[in-house]
Amino acid sequence: MSRRLLGLLLVLPALAVIALLFILPLIMSAVGAFQVDGAFGWGNFVKTFDLYTKDIIFTVVIVSLSTVLIGLASIAIGGYLTLGNNPVAVSILRFLYRWPMFIPFIVVGQLMRTFLAKNGMMNNAAVSLGLMTPMETMSFLDWRGIVFAFVWKQTPFVALLVAGAMASLNRDTIEAARNLGASKLRVLFEIIVPQVAVTLTVGLILSFVTMMSVLSVPLMINAQSPTMLTADIAFRVNAYGDYGVANALGLISLVLASSVAWIYLRISLKERT
Amino acid sequence: MKRFSYAAIAITLAAFPVKAAELTVATAGDQNMVDYINQYLGPLFEKTYPGNTVRAVGTGPGDSGSQKLLERFDAQAAAKSEKWDVDVAVVHEKFVGPMVTKNYLAKYRGDIETGSLVTRDNAKMALGTNVDGYVMPMFNSQTALAYNPDLVSKPPQSYAELADWAKAHPKQFGYNGIKGGASGVSFVMGWIYAFGDSDANTLMNGPFNADDTKKWDGAFKSLADFTTNATLTPGNAGTLDLLSRGEIAMGPVWVDMFYSWQASGQLPPTMKLILPAPGMPGQPMHYVIPEKTAQKELAEKFVALATSPKVQAEGIVKRFNWYPGIDADKVKAELDDATWNKLFVDISPADLAEKGKPFPIAPYNSAILEAYEKSVK
Repeated sequence: MSRRLLGLLLVLPALAVIALLFILPLIMSAVGAFQVDGAFGWGNFVKTFDLYTKDIIFTVVIVSLSTVLIGLASIAIGGYLTLGNNPVAVSILRFLYRWPMFIPFIVVGQLMRTFLAKNGMMNNAAVSLGLMTPMETMSFLDWRGIVFAFVWKQTPFVALLVAGAMASLNRDTIEAARNLGASKLRVLFEIIVPQVAVTLTVGLILSFVTMMSVLSVPLMINAQSPTMLTADIAFRVNAYGDYGVANALGLISLVLASSVAWIYLRISLKERT
Repeated sequence: MKRFSYAAIAITLAAFPVKAAELTVATAGDQNMVDYINQYLGPLFEKTYPGNTVRAVGTGPGDSGSQKLLERFDAQAAAKSEKWDVDVAVVHEKFVGPMVTKNYLAKYRGDIETGSLVTRDNAKMALGTNVDGYVMPMFNSQTALAYNPDLVSKPPQSYAELADWAKAHPKQFGYNGIKGGASGVSFVMGWIYAFGDSDANTLMNGPFNADDTKKWDGAFKSLADFTTNATLTPGNAGTLDLLSRGEIAMGPVWVDMFYSWQASGQLPPTMKLILPAPGMPGQPMHYVIPEKTAQKELAEKFVALATSPKVQAEGIVKRFNWYPGIDADKVKAELDDATWNKLFVDISPADLAEKGKPFPIAPYNSAILEAYEKSVK
């Protein structure tokens, strides 16, 4: 047996798993999106846009807003870890910021339900500190709750990547800028961030795609109208047994996710050449 | 030669299944359903019929749990399996119809002695499909409005009064829409029974007429207005959460969940229930046995035990505050008055008989949900 054939044989199980468990179901659900009562047609998409246009826009807005906030927060964390002067504060931050990464989304949803409610922990703390009266409190269990949960959960992941990239930068550039009198903020945004831009973008894209697929958080915080596409997909299947429209919704979220994945592919291609 | 003898041993072993039988009971519903079988029903069965074991499998809360069971049956039927891997299943009312129509289930009620104790009509018809003989009700549950008497001195007696009350008290009524659990769905169905221009009895009993689905515009318009004045809660438990923290004063809940939360101290004991006219839906969970179970006889024994008056009294009424699945009088005889009356503190048996409604038949059910998605945004 030639070495080449042997090599092919060795990767065959892995290839088979990918083909059978990923590619085949993907093709089946894509085909299913165009099937109405056994015949091909656009019916599922007509219904999807009729009922869920608002939810599609809502999903894009929520996930994009979360991505921007995650970017800002992770730059802030990474920046302080790189430029911070107080070693104690830096090590406390380094210790603390990663924790949410190890908490599953469903638990995040549960935490936020009691934290962000009208009489939840956040408002109660504000009331007992005298910052507001009980009458002024309001519930954050709507779109803001989803954004809050996403940012809280995904920031550590991006911050971990960004902080790693920042730590491996050549410190000479930073020192030079400081010597010439640049403020820390200016060093962060004009020297450091441009150098870690690729890592930051990759982290944000991976977060974007992850957030597109989360069902538990919208289900636990705000499964109302408008809600995220994942909640609608679950509802189509569970309430109507309707896989056609669910597949159509899935295909739309696939298109949304792949539009950012395309950027990811371009970046990784550029890195190779 | 040696290899052959190993193979022979292996084949012989495979040909003689182990004698002690394991009964697989798959249940839709929350964790408490799995616990009920694992901690109460299973051990009781193992004690009554020694040598057998019960394995409980939970398929997930809500309709999706039953949907998964239906899909599992679909798959095994499509694969033409001779023996299916589920012996007893506990499913929601909505999914029994399709299972019977597709000939997946055994008609076993006449074969077990507790079969004659079933009295309610919902064991004969399940949302418009004739299922007589195929199901044994495990319990009946009911939705109602829970309210905080400190904030609501005179609770609304009907949907019409409720609409006025909610207008006068913005954001004090909370419900969970239709995507966060069935108590919200039930509230919406009740709204259409009350305000839809179609005949509510037709919605509940059929026959389906597509023209009826166009008669709800006015009802949904008023529901959309009502909803802007209401608080939307995250799920069945979310409504109770908000109620217990005083964030809302009233909302639709499952009666059994309400009592269980009160019993465990998650809900203040002062909270009360009311069933507004013309009524709100409730539904049974059913025990079913697949036609192709490997252990039909044992499965029947299991269901017979689970629906015996003693188990219904001890397990269903006392532990879970569910309304019994079989004739209530037979169950009442097994319980002390205090436990029994606890079920009827706020909602009398007469109320329940008059205002406890079934859900609409399946095609109307889907049509109402979709109309809600379209109009209440």
